[in-house]
Amino acid sequence: MDLWNQLMGGFATAATPINLLWAFLGCALGTAIGVLPGLGPAVTVAMLLPITSQVEPTASMIFFAGIYYGAMYGGSTTSILLNTPGETGTMVTALEGFKMAKSGRAGAALATSAIGSFVAGTLATVLVTMCAPLVADVAVKLGPPEYFGLMLLAFTTVSAVLGTSTLRGMTALFVGLAMGCVGIDQISGQARYSVGVPEFLDGIEVVLVAVGLFAVGEAFYTAVYEGRSKATLNRMNKVHMTRTEWRRSWPAWLRGTALGFPFGTIPAGGSEIPTFLSYALERKLSRHKEEFGTTGAIEGVAGPEAANNSAVTATLVPLLTLGIPTSVTAAILLSALQNYGIQAGPQLFTTSSALVWALIASLYIGNVMLLVLNLPLVGLWVKLLRIPKAQLYAGILIFATVGVYGMRQSAFDLFLMYAVGVLGLLMRRFDFPAAPVIVGVILGPLAEAQLRNALSIGEGRWTVFVERPVAAALLAIVVLVVVAPRLLKRRTEPVPPVEPADGAR
Amino acid sequence: MSQPVSPPATLHQTLIGLGAIVLAAGMAYGAASISSVAGYAGIGPNVVPWAVAVALLVCGAWLVWEARTGGYRQLEAPSGGERADWVAFAWLSAGVLANAALITTIGFVLSCTLCYALAVRGLRHSEGKPAGTPRQTVMDVVTGMLIAAPVFWLFTKLLAINLPGVSGTGWI
Repeated sequence: MDLWNQLMGGFATAATPINLLWAFLGCALGTAIGVLPGLGPAVTVAMLLPITSQVEPTASMIFFAGIYYGAMYGGSTTSILLNTPGETGTMVTALEGFKMAKSGRAGAALATSAIGSFVAGTLATVLVTMCAPLVADVAVKLGPPEYFGLMLLAFTTVSAVLGTSTLRGMTALFVGLAMGCVGIDQISGQARYSVGVPEFLDGIEVVLVAVGLFAVGEAFYTAVYEGRSKATLNRMNKVHMTRTEWRRSWPAWLRGTALGFPFGTIPAGGSEIPTFLSYALERKLSRHKEEFGTTGAIEGVAGPEAANNSAVTATLVPLLTLGIPTSVTAAILLSALQNYGIQAGPQLFTTSSALVWALIASLYIGNVMLLVLNLPLVGLWVKLLRIPKAQLYAGILIFATVGVYGMRQSAFDLFLMYAVGVLGLLMRRFDFPAAPVIVGVILGPLAEAQLRNALSIGEGRWTVFVERPVAAALLAIVVLVVVAPRLLKRRTEPVPPVEPADGAR
Repeated sequence: MSQPVSPPATLHQTLIGLGAIVLAAGMAYGAASISSVAGYAGIGPNVVPWAVAVALLVCGAWLVWEARTGGYRQLEAPSGGERADWVAFAWLSAGVLANAALITTIGFVLSCTLCYALAVRGLRHSEGKPAGTPRQTVMDVVTGMLIAAPVFWLFTKLLAINLPGVSGTGWI
């Protein structure tokens, strides 16, 4: 069996002592930053991107992937014990998990989230193993018009579906696209918006934007608005689940996994939506409805946690096979691959198959490591929550400097980081989502290149997007994503049927 | 869904919308000087910048309109305090900007230590805790060093990434 052999080859690479060490470092660091509020996996990977100049690609991708899903394990610990979610994907866990911990069941909540994450992460990895090569086979046949359609879909979903207001999501997206326009045009080689600054010729790095928005912006926000907010820490107890709790957790884990995976693979912007859906589903199916929102129901932790980890793992499918990131961290991972000159996309499975399979194998290994790191050792991580906020955020600024300055040794970038940090502060205060900016910066130039290549294929005619069935279907979905929620919302009042614009024809 | 909005909120939201319009104007100004030579593609390197400028203009205008007619729609109440603590912001800004200005002259370790000390002071101020006593300042400088120096060694020695030092020794 071909798939089996490739996977075993991957295990052979991933299980070398040095790669195991990188996976362990990634998982441990990921758990730590997941536990710490204010530091997410995207920023951490962004800050560590300079290591790509020294470490070989397979090792660093294993390391970064470990950080990514390690953060999801750690984030739930914070959500359960502290009344602030460690990561956005663990927001729902904060609802029920915190309630459970308050009523003295912190241990059970931590156990179901760690074991649920393990079950979901492992099952999702099996699905990635089986799906990714199939998707890659299909993706090889796609041309520039289809890629442009996919990227347009990513833009729309990330800005229209995420967050509450489509307008603010779109504004954020176009700010990101504007940043993406700076630098040398990929096709004609012409400089755009360089205003005489040599750094601008190279463009605005996605790392700088991520660190500015998430690390510096978050530090600013904490200082300006959150100074007087108090966090209360719940009491820990033995991490253990009773027989009934096991019985109630199992089905929720499996449902969460099934719900999370498809959301990770489509560009629907990360793991927030599936976790909320899973929470709603568990609440509906539960035989202990009275526990939801009061003493805390274990299903309400188990389901969303599984959905979160499953979605996070599934983001690897579009990232590796199409080169399209569906979450902020995936966008940074894409930028790591670009640093190595590796083109993510269907060819990756043939040109860098050793890397891809080692990465997938490392996911299996990493999930086991994380289970060990998070179940018996959870007390160790909880100690991190005792770091005072002031020292924590000031320290984050030092790490932000390393990441941004280390990228291309330019002090100008640090000024730029400050400006993006102020932008992040304003966006946070006025409820603009940050993910569309990141996706805009990294996918903008790629989408523009695909658009212009597509038009070259169509000899300058825009009809190339509707004449090719797959491209037309993608455009129709884009229109649907924007229009459908509005139609559903107005279902109560009679509306004349809206004729979707081109693409649907 | 939107609650009654206070006059300052209306003003702030309008300013954010105007900010988007200014950005749009900047994009348009820049786009005007980009060549439109299309080659085979049918569209030149100036088309996407123009499209972004127009889209930002529409978004900005729309934001202003929302702000003037009852405030942003579906706005989630921001977390944290009502009032902004601009003194704390000034301390943090001083830290980050001083770091940017000085890193190449006084080196990574000293510059980051300075940034850390200034930022901690601002963050403590925002928490309403006493800040700026000599003892505390010394502690902050020492803590900052203890974070910055190992990071510097890790990146320069182990990963061979260039970070500026104040001396040529590579240790500080």
